[in-house]
Amino acid sequence: MNPLRPLTARIEDIKTEAEGVKTYTLSTEFPFVAEPGQFNMIGYPGVGEAPISLSAIMQGGSFKHTIKSVGRVTDFLKDFRKSDDLFFRGPYGRGWPVKKAEKKDVLIIAGGVGLAPLRPVIQIVLNQRESFGDVSLIYGARNEKNMLFMDEFNEWAEKIAVYLTVDEAVQPDRWKHHVGLVTDLIDRVKIKPERAIAFVCGPELMMRFICRGLIMHGMSQSSLYVSLERRMKCGIAQCGHCQHSGLFVCKDGPVFSYKEVRGLPDGVL
Amino acid sequence: MTGERTFQKFKRLIPKKAFLLWLDSLKKDYKLIGPVKIGNHTVFKEVNSSRELFMEYETTMLSPGKLFLYRPNEELFRFTFNETSNPPSPPFSEGGMGRFSSKKITVDEIKPDMAKQVIVGVHPCDVNAILYLDRTFLRTFKDPHYEARRKNTLIISLNCEHVSENCFCSSVGTGPFLHAAGGYDMLLTDFENEYLVEIKSREAEELFELKGRGAGQDEMRFKAEKEKSVKGKFKKTINVSGLDNIFAENVDHPVWQQTAGDKCLSCANCVMVCPMCFCYDLRDEMSMDLKTVTRYRCFDACQDIRFAEVHGGNFRQRRAARLRQFVTHKLDQTNQYGVSATVGCGRCITWCPTGIDLTEITKEIQRYEPA
Repeated sequence: MNPLRPLTARIEDIKTEAEGVKTYTLSTEFPFVAEPGQFNMIGYPGVGEAPISLSAIMQGGSFKHTIKSVGRVTDFLKDFRKSDDLFFRGPYGRGWPVKKAEKKDVLIIAGGVGLAPLRPVIQIVLNQRESFGDVSLIYGARNEKNMLFMDEFNEWAEKIAVYLTVDEAVQPDRWKHHVGLVTDLIDRVKIKPERAIAFVCGPELMMRFICRGLIMHGMSQSSLYVSLERRMKCGIAQCGHCQHSGLFVCKDGPVFSYKEVRGLPDGVL
Repeated sequence: MTGERTFQKFKRLIPKKAFLLWLDSLKKDYKLIGPVKIGNHTVFKEVNSSRELFMEYETTMLSPGKLFLYRPNEELFRFTFNETSNPPSPPFSEGGMGRFSSKKITVDEIKPDMAKQVIVGVHPCDVNAILYLDRTFLRTFKDPHYEARRKNTLIISLNCEHVSENCFCSSVGTGPFLHAAGGYDMLLTDFENEYLVEIKSREAEELFELKGRGAGQDEMRFKAEKEKSVKGKFKKTINVSGLDNIFAENVDHPVWQQTAGDKCLSCANCVMVCPMCFCYDLRDEMSMDLKTVTRYRCFDACQDIRFAEVHGGNFRQRRAARLRQFVTHKLDQTNQYGVSATVGCGRCITWCPTGIDLTEITKEIQRYEPA
């Protein structure tokens, strides 16, 4: 079978997460298993395909994608309804090194829709809480309306520390959390560099400052992991769009240790 | 089997006429493809008879590998919408477009073309370029179209007699004579009225029934002398040692901005004529009656401004960055496949409308670096 052949997936459920962002719960008759941080190429004939990370761990054979409508494919998807079918292929790429995080203090740091690829990690941590040390989520978005998974934060906060921030609150009197950059919140977490590992996902400029901030807190470059966003057509290290200095982000990533990608030409890390 | 007999079995001298007749005899099972002179140029195309071949050619604009193995355009899938399913139609964001049920969409995978073909007269640079394309299309994810054509193609290489003004294969170890261990079928060396024919694959061994006379030590010595003499004709050179580090450390070297600003048109000629540039785009084309969508693959180029664009940004918005991407991919990224992505064919120099020369860019950067 041609590895570029798309398969059909049935939309079991659609949930609106934030402005322009929906989570699609998908099922397929084909065997499908994925690791946290991996992605699928999602699309539809006549529209094209786009790489989208999985936003939940697999449950009973179904998988989830949380998609913000910003481009040709994602705009098209936003009109889909429950029990419609869409096309996908995957999973592709190297995900978060969750095994490496066991017994360690875990920092999960996300900006905007960057929380979606990290939610599977949070779910694993919640399910096997005793396998990890201190776990903190630091999450920032433009404003409350752009925040994903807000209805899940209370449940998460029972088991891990959750720090939230917005650039500017839409309803300042009702916003009880921080206002400002994600980087501000790093100082609130007590980081023990020798036993800490960080998973970071968000706009590349944000990841740059987060990683540099964590390094100033004594963490090593190789204990920081980032997930990169690049244009991709194939997902299988052929089309060349996601190349950077010999790396195929689709195959060698999208998750990299900061050590591997720091100072990458044309990136901002 | 004794050593000498093995030697003679796989290395034979064959009169050119007899060799060409043998090529014609293959036509009953194979498409015959080779260099043909058209006006002032030579192109690789299918021929009806070996008489059409122009084996003394210097270079071609397009490489045989990117015409007959990795094709500029490849139909991959056909999606058919039946009566009750709505095809997507723009504007996509208006909503209320009815239901999209792919139960009613048939996906047809275009079957690989299994036709047998023989490509004769492939220069060593272009054979090495094919071996490079193999790394993209025959590794973890195998492309069925490339794989099928690769298996059904007999590659007969021809060592170079001529050196064009932009050739620099001798500097990167890919020519003018072929030394690749495998991945091709036969190797020819021009011995005036004869070809020295070296058999390199089992398939060629089975197919090639001409006895000729066995080539011994003398002939091989003559071949080595020939190679030495051709090597002496190169005018363009490049020093590839340490290039990985030099490029990585000179991302902001003024030569990038200067060349991009003064010369580069982002026309992507360099990418299109490169025998190793493998990048592609996937495109969907809707039929006029809105009933079928064809998904096809076509060459794409890092020189295109949208190549590395994502929502909210473009990793190579600047022309200088795109030019650097091409040159560094050719010369510096041995960490990708363990080999450099140039075979020194010089096509990107020849076909650049403003004369950008990656060997000159490299020398400019090396000038300030301790050797």
